[in-house]
Amino acid sequence: MRKSIPNLGMDRFSGIYLGILFILIFTIATPLFLTESTFHVIASSQAVAGMIAIAVLIPMICGQFDLSVGANANFAGLVAVVLLNDGWSFLAAFLASVALGLFVGFVNGFIVVRLKVSSFIATLGVSSILTALAVIVTESIVPPPPSSQAWTKMTQFEVGGFQIIIVYLFVLALLVWWMLEWTPAGRYLRAIGGNTEASRLAGVHVDRWAWISLVLAGGISGLGGVLYTSLTGPSFTFGATLLLPAFAAVFLGSTQLQPGRFNVWGTLIAIFVLAIGVQGLQLLSSVLWLSAMFNGVALIAAVALAVNRTSRANPRPSRLRLNQTDEDAVINAASGTVGQEGSKQPAV
Amino acid sequence: MNRDLPRGKGTVDAQAPLAAGGPFALEVRHLSKSFAGKTVLRDFTLSLRPGEIHVLLGANGSGKSTLIKALAGYHEPDAGAWVSVGGMELPFGSPSTSYRLGCRFVHQDLGLIQSMSALDNIFLTSGFPTKGGAVDRREARRQARAALDRIGLDIDLTSVVSSFGPAEQTALAIARALLAHGGPPPSLLVLDEPTASLPGHEVQTLLDTLRTTAAAGVAIVYVTHHLDEIPAFAHRVSVLREGRLIDTWDADAVDRQELVTHLIGSELVAELVGAKEAQAQRRVDNHTEPILSVRGVRFRQLVDLTLDVWPGEIVGMYGLTGSGREDALAVIFGSKSRDGGTVRAHGHDLPPGRPIESIRKAIGYLPADRKVLSGIMDMSARQNMTLVNVRPFWRWGLLRSKPELSEVAKWFTNLGIRPADGESAPLSTFSGGNQQKVLLAKWLRQEPQVLLLDEPTQGVDVGAKVEVHRQVQHAAQAGTAVVVSSTDVEELAAICTKVLIIRNGRVVDELVGPRVTVPEINRSFHAEAPMDELVVNNAQVDS
Repeated sequence: MRKSIPNLGMDRFSGIYLGILFILIFTIATPLFLTESTFHVIASSQAVAGMIAIAVLIPMICGQFDLSVGANANFAGLVAVVLLNDGWSFLAAFLASVALGLFVGFVNGFIVVRLKVSSFIATLGVSSILTALAVIVTESIVPPPPSSQAWTKMTQFEVGGFQIIIVYLFVLALLVWWMLEWTPAGRYLRAIGGNTEASRLAGVHVDRWAWISLVLAGGISGLGGVLYTSLTGPSFTFGATLLLPAFAAVFLGSTQLQPGRFNVWGTLIAIFVLAIGVQGLQLLSSVLWLSAMFNGVALIAAVALAVNRTSRANPRPSRLRLNQTDEDAVINAASGTVGQEGSKQPAV
Repeated sequence: MNRDLPRGKGTVDAQAPLAAGGPFALEVRHLSKSFAGKTVLRDFTLSLRPGEIHVLLGANGSGKSTLIKALAGYHEPDAGAWVSVGGMELPFGSPSTSYRLGCRFVHQDLGLIQSMSALDNIFLTSGFPTKGGAVDRREARRQARAALDRIGLDIDLTSVVSSFGPAEQTALAIARALLAHGGPPPSLLVLDEPTASLPGHEVQTLLDTLRTTAAAGVAIVYVTHHLDEIPAFAHRVSVLREGRLIDTWDADAVDRQELVTHLIGSELVAELVGAKEAQAQRRVDNHTEPILSVRGVRFRQLVDLTLDVWPGEIVGMYGLTGSGREDALAVIFGSKSRDGGTVRAHGHDLPPGRPIESIRKAIGYLPADRKVLSGIMDMSARQNMTLVNVRPFWRWGLLRSKPELSEVAKWFTNLGIRPADGESAPLSTFSGGNQQKVLLAKWLRQEPQVLLLDEPTQGVDVGAKVEVHRQVQHAAQAGTAVVVSSTDVEELAAICTKVLIIRNGRVVDELVGPRVTVPEINRSFHAEAPMDELVVNNAQVDS
């Protein structure tokens, strides 16, 4: 674990600078922006987005995509509401929905590890199945919000003006950060993401960890979905809107704090900087397409940034892996072969 | 390293007189290159005639890759340098200009697409010749055939690359590099360790190809770590050390010992000799139980691999690629799942295809392919080294970096890993030899009872090679049973107490004690080689 010693380096903190820049621009552009409520809104509306991004982050570190996080969250949220309306106690409904999220992650893991389907396809398929299940469970009618007091208090209880849900996000982030940076589990996940076969030959339980990462992602998605539903009420569509910003944040986050590595705090910085951008733009203009457009552009820009960053840190001739790198073999391209970035470092 | 295998034609014309007069194929004057104030190449000056084969020797970090990168246009040298190619001045920092003036490069990684045909690979990067917007297959085939003829290669253009032997693949990459594409014919071909992963007889095939290429007037700069490729092949030899050109010799005017001394300095040479003597004095007690016992193991070419290894032994495995030797250690360790037979490590049966079980039984395995199977390039050297067991650093819910760092630092000192303070730098920033040391230390720190090493010094410089050998001998003295699978006869002769010859998927001979020498290994290998195998080898050489 490289320690991130604070400095003014643009390479690590560009996101924070961008956020400050956003705040300055929007403050000048509209008097509506720099108010307490803006920040309260951003904090609570992005708390769940942050959780979903963390759910995406964990399997991403060991090289697995989880595209089912959005559908999973949505499904878990609806199930919680349906159960509460059926007369379940708050705690039972809450735990059951989160357990459901974990189970979905378990199924993802089964498909990826046992059936050897690529995670991209597996979770895309599961995502579609979950959308179908949501319709079945609710009989295609958006259920009424539960009347339980505890249900709404869970997220809307206020601490110093902020809704408590933001606290949950930071507790979760702290836990995941600890797991990824300070435990053998994190070490193994990163090793698997770096080179799966080499990790297997070093005795790492490659399949087991990939599976665990997907289960964790499922559980966190379920939790996030339940919290979101408690915060804003049941809906069929919120899951889909969470997926893209989550991926954008994870990739953008990998250019922050510890460039070249997917990391928790970078991801959160990215989530909030993107949110400030969207929020500011929405205050300036009320067109409906803004946040979708902004998130799409941000995702592509984030991945482009992240890819360029890694290729500079670790020159790799081609994303298609036509050839393996060699510190001495630099000039394949000179014979006209595959596209390639020259190493900037002298051989050690 | 000895490639004392059947030689084909061409050993004589290597000494043929070079074309005198006319412009130099390559002329380099006062080429220096510094990175961040550190000079890695100092005042390099060298001229090559057309048709000259020039071997460039240097340990990793000696500046040879910097030189190549400068020629290829990837580095801009420091002011004052002047380079001409085929009589034309080479402007720096432009790969496309370097290519247009006739500089061509072939790397250890050939950049061929295994699943495509030879023909498709040849035109993959330059574009097929076209007629009316469609690919003109006939013209393509004609050009490709001409390119292959120039280097004396006769292969089926429609076969996929993966069906060719390694030497043929290298030759194919050379043919592709030498395509003129309407410009002047290439005058300079630079090969960077082309034989690092070739078995012995394939090396000779490739060297023959290069002789033919040079005879057509192309100057060749040939980078290698294999000194025994020089005689009967090169015209001249240069040695780079620490960024300086030590000297250039006519190939027949310098002997191996002298080159080694120039390459690594006399201290390490003495050590190399000492290690061999120490090994001769070691004795192994064969009366106890073997620690590793392999019976009738089958996998692909392996039909019946049977062997025993006792503590303190260093057992070598020698055999061509294709004999099954290349899979033997992977199958024993379980990284590849065997089809039959048993593997027992101190009395316990090992299940097939379960590396974790082998590690639990104190077996370590260093695969041949460093980048694909062994190292995690974007993780730090420290994390690579401790990956197998991080438990000692895990206390009170945290992985402690202090004890981890101090343990890793100890291994850095122990194996002389450079840079010495690079524990937390990504593995990709280390040179090949130092990467290999890091990955060897990963297993040494486990204090394994059995250590399986697959081509442990392939593609590493001479200094790192000496260090790896020293560590292996050290481990054996401490009681570790070591198995080394290698195509490098000299390596086996230098460190092994016993050498197994593998052919057609089984152990066909066992050399012990005084028979563990380069000539004996080669003799045993050839004595029993069936006639048809030799015929096949010669046929390849002649074609």
